[in-house]
Amino acid sequence: MLLEIIDVFISGLINGSVYALMAVGLTLVYGVTKAFNFAYGSFYNLGGYFAWTLLIPLTIIGGYFSVFFMAIPFFFIVGYLLEKVLISPLRKYDDWEMKVMMLTLGLSLFMDFGYQSIFGPRIKSLPGIIEGTVQIGEIVLFQQDIVIFILSISGMLCFGWVLNNTRTGMAVQAVAQNPAGAQIVGIPKDFIFAATFAISTIMVGFGGILLCQKNFVDPMGSTDIMIKAWVITAFGGMGSIRGSLYAAFILGMLEAFVGWYFGMIHVQIATLTLLLVTLAIRPRGLMGRE
Amino acid sequence: MSLKRMLRILCGFYCVMGIMPLFFGGTDYIMNILIMILIWAVVASCWDVIMGFAGIFSFGQVAFYVVGAYASAILSVSLDIPPVFSIMMAGVITGLFGVLVGLPCLRLAGPYVALVTFAVHMTLVPFLRGPLGRAIGSGGSQGILTIPPIELFGLAFSSEQLVPFFYLTLSLTIICTLVLVLVIKSYWGTAFLALKDSENFAASLGISAFKYKLMVFALTSFITGLFGALYAHYVGMLSTKMLSMDVFTILMIMMVIGGIGKYPGVVVGAVITVTLSQLLAPLGMYRPLIMGAIVVVLVLFLRDGIISPIIRILSSWQRVGVEEE
Repeated sequence: MLLEIIDVFISGLINGSVYALMAVGLTLVYGVTKAFNFAYGSFYNLGGYFAWTLLIPLTIIGGYFSVFFMAIPFFFIVGYLLEKVLISPLRKYDDWEMKVMMLTLGLSLFMDFGYQSIFGPRIKSLPGIIEGTVQIGEIVLFQQDIVIFILSISGMLCFGWVLNNTRTGMAVQAVAQNPAGAQIVGIPKDFIFAATFAISTIMVGFGGILLCQKNFVDPMGSTDIMIKAWVITAFGGMGSIRGSLYAAFILGMLEAFVGWYFGMIHVQIATLTLLLVTLAIRPRGLMGRE
Repeated sequence: MSLKRMLRILCGFYCVMGIMPLFFGGTDYIMNILIMILIWAVVASCWDVIMGFAGIFSFGQVAFYVVGAYASAILSVSLDIPPVFSIMMAGVITGLFGVLVGLPCLRLAGPYVALVTFAVHMTLVPFLRGPLGRAIGSGGSQGILTIPPIELFGLAFSSEQLVPFFYLTLSLTIICTLVLVLVIKSYWGTAFLALKDSENFAASLGISAFKYKLMVFALTSFITGLFGALYAHYVGMLSTKMLSMDVFTILMIMMVIGGIGKYPGVVVGAVITVTLSQLLAPLGMYRPLIMGAIVVVLVLFLRDGIISPIIRILSSWQRVGVEEE
């Protein structure tokens, strides 16, 4: 019993760490550009398919190392172009928030069925990043899980460092606080919007590459991931990076324990209940500011 | 838009719809499209009222529709209630459900509402398929397969005879459309516009945002539930497939084509979208792909929906007429 609980705890911790990586990207893009991205889950799948294409049909040299190396420019370009071509032309309208929601929802449908028609409707499995297990006492850990955990945590730390210590990171924070003010002091607002969008795309793409090793690449699984990422951001408070960090681990744990004790079908209901209760008590989430 | 013009467009539309069966009464394929146009026109109008006029980012419209359909189906199959009453009860149940969803939402800011309502939508699938749904008679992942057709005064309105069912739907559609038009043009609708423009200022004039927004949730979900129930008794079987993104996007295309908050626009949007989606049906898997692309392109390029250019043409005609006189 105790061992099982520890197992569930570890799986919650690993899921939570990848969710944190994705949710931080999402909360960043909402906090800075105020664009509500419904296609976020489809970019998670894009990460999965990107890794699959490079590893299985192309059998790239260097395995996951090259995948990660190529993923950064790839997702940056995809995210940057997406913002420039699709989102920024909408900003001039009054009701652009609603228009962005509709556009990204349409985009997510397009991408999901695009994957289906290119890669076929069957789920794909990615090879593990590393094989083998580690035994500590009676607890058996997969090395893969440890690597996923370390990679997502270090990805987040790296991101936090960029945000707080580089000029671009500080410019991003300035735009988040006051777009007009940031523009007055000479920060290129449009570039920052697009760059933020691109960074969040990188983060969700990495989340896809990491988590799809455990959960398979499912062309129809994107709405599930999108809801999860959004629930985490809303639960933690939109725009609050620390809030979504806590929320990601809480939800990862909740998912693991509810799934283990009641069955996977109840996970979504439990998640929604938690979200509704939190929002009823704190309408702006755990750490959201008024 | 003035009440007169709004009524004129709607009246013209329903008159044209009303004489359609004279030409196509024998063709089941076209009658089916016509009936679906009527049903979706009302559902999309409700969404327009809640999103375009009241300014609430509710993404739960399909969820309300499905709740209404399932409620009526379960009532008539499990409890043997005649469909006429079960449809009414389904409307009331959906209305209550709408209030239940609306209550927590109204304290939240824009995108949170979209998220919560969309999460309700996503949660309905595991709920209806899971043991909880099966306990109340949703039939699990198989769905409900034997829903009795509507019977009224000894007449059965089933999917075998489409023309009577068409006129039943048409009359219900006209009633609900009139209700919606009255709401939009009443003090209520004006209050929405004030709330949407400046919530603080409207509140200082004594308009209670909470009361009006909750009322619009109740009204639109009632009507949506009613039409969901009607649809359930029309097709005779239900499954959780109705909750797929496909259906949601079709509803959204109606809004985008029609223009958000340009009321009779969505009705025109419904005509175009339902026809288009039926024409694309043979493409199978590529249909949602095309639908998604259509949404992206339309949101980018069709700013106010298709109704604005139509109105412009209409008013230029009128001006020409005045000059000639």
